[in-house]
Amino acid sequence: MEAATVARPRRRGSGLSERRLAAAMVSPSMIVITLVAAYPIGYAIWLSLHEYSVRVPGLSRWSGLKNYDTALSSSEFWEALRNTFLFTGISVTIELVLGIAFALAMHQAFKGRAVLRATVLVPWAVLTFGSGLLWRSIFEPDLGFANSMLSALGLPGGDILWLGQEGYAMAVMICADIWKTAPFMALLLLAGLQVIPDDVYDAAKVDGASAWQRFLRITLPLLKPAILVALLFRTLDALRVFDLPFALTGGANGTNTLSLYAYQELTANRLVGLGSALSVLTFLIVMIVSFMYIRFVGGNIRGLADER
Amino acid sequence: MSAALAVAAIAVAGCGDDDEDTESAKKVEPGAAEQAKGNVNWCIGKDTTGTFSKAVKEFSSQGQVKANLIELPAAADEQRTQLVQRLQAKSSECDVLGMDVIWTAEFAAQSWLQDVSDIVAERKDVWIPSTLETAKYEDKYWALPYNTNAGFVYYRTDQVQEPPDNWQAVYSEAAKGDGIVYQGARYEGLTVNFLELLYSAGGKVLSDDGKTVEIDSPEAVEVLKFMADGIEQGAAPKAVTTYMEEESRRAFESGGATFMRNWPYAYSLGKDSKIAEDFDITTFPKFGEGEGAGVLGGYDVAISAYSKNPDGAAAFAEFLTSPDWQKTIMTEASLPSTLTKTYDDPAVQKAFPFAVKLRTAVEQAQPRPVTPVYPQVSEAIFKNVHLALQGKMAPDEAIKTMKGDIDKALQTF
Repeated sequence: MEAATVARPRRRGSGLSERRLAAAMVSPSMIVITLVAAYPIGYAIWLSLHEYSVRVPGLSRWSGLKNYDTALSSSEFWEALRNTFLFTGISVTIELVLGIAFALAMHQAFKGRAVLRATVLVPWAVLTFGSGLLWRSIFEPDLGFANSMLSALGLPGGDILWLGQEGYAMAVMICADIWKTAPFMALLLLAGLQVIPDDVYDAAKVDGASAWQRFLRITLPLLKPAILVALLFRTLDALRVFDLPFALTGGANGTNTLSLYAYQELTANRLVGLGSALSVLTFLIVMIVSFMYIRFVGGNIRGLADER
Repeated sequence: MSAALAVAAIAVAGCGDDDEDTESAKKVEPGAAEQAKGNVNWCIGKDTTGTFSKAVKEFSSQGQVKANLIELPAAADEQRTQLVQRLQAKSSECDVLGMDVIWTAEFAAQSWLQDVSDIVAERKDVWIPSTLETAKYEDKYWALPYNTNAGFVYYRTDQVQEPPDNWQAVYSEAAKGDGIVYQGARYEGLTVNFLELLYSAGGKVLSDDGKTVEIDSPEAVEVLKFMADGIEQGAAPKAVTTYMEEESRRAFESGGATFMRNWPYAYSLGKDSKIAEDFDITTFPKFGEGEGAGVLGGYDVAISAYSKNPDGAAAFAEFLTSPDWQKTIMTEASLPSTLTKTYDDPAVQKAFPFAVKLRTAVEQAQPRPVTPVYPQVSEAIFKNVHLALQGKMAPDEAIKTMKGDIDKALQTF
């Protein structure tokens, strides 16, 4: 930008056309973004302001904010909201702690590091719905692996109905998510670790800082931008969780989430208006959370980009 | 961005069209099929047994119409989504639709199907009467029953001498033995399991015209209390509230239960398991004084209102429901036929040793509530039954809530 201002006195005429050129070059991607993102969002909002008949073909009517009123006054919405935030809060926190630990381990120079980095990503590569089914079979009552192992070892919990009780079902869902996405978190953080220069650590060692002090005073602050990016990614993903409750419980026993609830109304019950209103509400919640993240940590994200 | 895409996907999935044509239903005349030519596409779920592709091949080699198979996903919900998307877009891609029996009212109400009453009328006697009820909506027929299904009580012959003739005895023997397992998870299967008992007790969900709710009956409360007490008092394990078909089957085959409610598919699988010699099946018993009743499953074949070749489609639908082909699906794919006579065939009885019991089970079974808002009605049932089974809601209160939810569903615009 500064370069352009400096250049202007010399080539007065070409400044505008350069800007035009830029606009022209950006426009194709702007058009694509509009088509792919803005149009469907606008359409979803349009749908959410109407009611579509399930009995008379093609019949629809304007209903204003009625769908939003129905959604916000249903206890299912608030339950789904509570479940979604509970799931997001706990799973993302644990994933962060485990992710940092994994990243630190993978950052050490040792033989077979490349193999470890590849294998740790295997859970991440498994289709979420597939891993959901896997976890369901592990926690199946009677014949499931979890209960048989607990009973065989004489530990308590062998008779727990993991997926059939509120609380436990959520715990299984959180475990499944951690298993799947902690490695992804680790990989994002590993990228952050690799840009921290070694001489900072060397200097600290010379000054006699302990390993714990080096972690607290050097690693954590310098890793902060990467942590925030990873948190943003994971939080937004977790707020939209769908496949896990779908595969594990079908939304029973305190595991119904916003996305699953919207899907139920939209697809199973074919309540297009209400389902769209629920998707728009989910979208707004995700937007608010991401705005908070970016406002709160925006400088750090740019800082990370500059460092690269 | 990814959030935006998710919303986009949902919006696209839900797109309907806004124009308001309410033309009266198209009708297929019998006889026209004989002169049919051209191509027809059959859209039905995944061809796991190979008989769908065999059907189109065999039909195409017989006459002037060429049939093609378009495979939809394996899960019924996904098939419905795929069909609804095509029909909302007035796509003529699918001529013959493979439809789960619970979709008839919804699809017919949307004018997505052709009226096939005249075709049915020509050969009405060949079908098992109950199966035709699944193809009926507002006194017209919208599909031809293709394959049917009805549940059984499976029992351990080494623990039970004579299968009890009422549910109360089943439960009390179960409590003394290793219990009864069924499909008690929060999903469509629980609606079926509850309705089987409710129908046996003489209860109903909707009035005959489908306009008013009749679930708030003493029978319904009694049945739900019976099921909840069964779990509470140990006739059924607490774990049934998480069981679907496969979990029940595994529990029964591993020797963990004296009784099981399941579909016929579990029979041949059970004969390969370690309890192969130790179990048998029986049709549903009565509940108290009533008569035993079941709930119908299966698929019907319908003709799309947007088909460009309805005569060819009718010819293919007639082929699929012909006695010869019905025998083939039963012997080669283990799909229960909808025709009465098929069950008397020696080859069928060889493939299905329990063929006569199966026909009885189908004959005594009833369709699920016939209404365009069936998905919501079913959700209202399985949600509240599940709460009662878990002991979170008293049975009478659950039935009251269920009534309210179904009332609301019936008022859907």
